[in-house]
Amino acid sequence: MHADDSADSRIIEQLRNRDPNGIAAAYDRYGRSAYALFVRITHDRAAAEDLLQELFLRLWDRGVKFDSSKGALGVWILSIARNLAIDHVRSAQTRFSSRLRSMEHLESLCFGDHPSGRESRITDVRSIQEAFAALSADEKRVMELAYFEGFSQSEIAANIQEPLGTVKSRVRSALGRLRVALGGNKKP
Amino acid sequence: MTHAEMSEVYELYALGVLEPEAAAEIDQHLRDGCEHCERHVADAMGLVAAMASLAEPESPRAQVRERILGVVKPQRQRPTRNWMYAAAALAAACAALIIFSVSSRSELRHMRERLAALTEERDQLRSAVQILSRPDTRAVGFGRAGNAPHGRVLVNRNGGFVFVGSQLPELGSNQTFELWLVPASGAAPQPAGLFRPNAQGDSVHVSSAAVDARTTKAVAVSVEPSQGSNAPTTTPILVVPLA
Ligand SMILES: [Zn+2]
Repeated sequence: MHADDSADSRIIEQLRNRDPNGIAAAYDRYGRSAYALFVRITHDRAAAEDLLQELFLRLWDRGVKFDSSKGALGVWILSIARNLAIDHVRSAQTRFSSRLRSMEHLESLCFGDHPSGRESRITDVRSIQEAFAALSADEKRVMELAYFEGFSQSEIAANIQEPLGTVKSRVRSALGRLRVALGGNKKP
Repeated sequence: MTHAEMSEVYELYALGVLEPEAAAEIDQHLRDGCEHCERHVADAMGLVAAMASLAEPESPRAQVRERILGVVKPQRQRPTRNWMYAAAALAAACAALIIFSVSSRSELRHMRERLAALTEERDQLRSAVQILSRPDTRAVGFGRAGNAPHGRVLVNRNGGFVFVGSQLPELGSNQTFELWLVPASGAAPQPAGLFRPNAQGDSVHVSSAAVDARTTKAVAVSVEPSQGSNAPTTTPILVVPLA
């Protein structure tokens, strides 16, 4: 779904020009992935629809700032989506907890008003699904808690009632295996 | 952290689940411009973003797309930014909810647009509160109370800025105010958002654009055609130096 980078560049150009077609195209390209992520994290379809709207209005708001040479449209959309959803769940639980960290680096990856920053392309979806499927059940569990719940390693340890050291080594081996499976992070 | 230690945690950093001290160290290291780590963090962000595809496929209802596209219109009259408006709009939205069961298709659409506008309103207020509550936010006043334009600009290097203005001149129906960030380098001003004051001539505009006071010399306001411009087409009515 994300192989065609030139489509992203075109969308970014439209967003920079405040052209609503850019939102339509971005929605058609990433809306379903973002919605699936919202449903998975919130377990609430009505909330997921609201978050989807919030996400794309935010994209509309920030779109003029995108730098098409950095190509990070999908990375921005799905990173912000995850943050919105986890924040939503946490504020609903009124759980005072380490909010996800600031997205400072995401900004520099995506926006033209940051001098540095590199291209960031979304990893090929099929390879990550295959790589993830090859992890052990324990590794999958810790990665799901980190990604979908936004848990820190100590929160994961508390959740699955394992020592922090065990969790850390599981996370490390899972990430190591994902990295290797994805070709040392080379782009597809 | 050594470089070798850092290279172990790029993905955890990208996931946002690294301990705060370690994350701050990497933030600083990236700000210092390490290209090696930058490249790897960019890859890690791509990997983390792709993890979204591990969620079970789901499709939103078709109305959601319509609702979003109903809100993003380039010529749309932007609502004034103040609490009274939000309260009035909320009351209207509640009234619309009450008649939900008998409402026509067009009323429903109107209500959705209203709710979408409220969502945006709430986002703006939320970002304003976030910017105002940061300890490193600076306030720069301009003008004098009275009949001349006056107000303040609250700037946060990372969080954006809030423009609060009173007694701004009257706009024609096909005009808007446009905010500009004026780079210290002498480069062309960057567009930073459109706004229209309320009937009393007051306005609040929140921009999430990062403003680095070292490279941005001033915030300016000019009168532009209602869809806004890419570069100022009139002499700015206000130039607020940030230094
Ligand atoms: Zn480095």
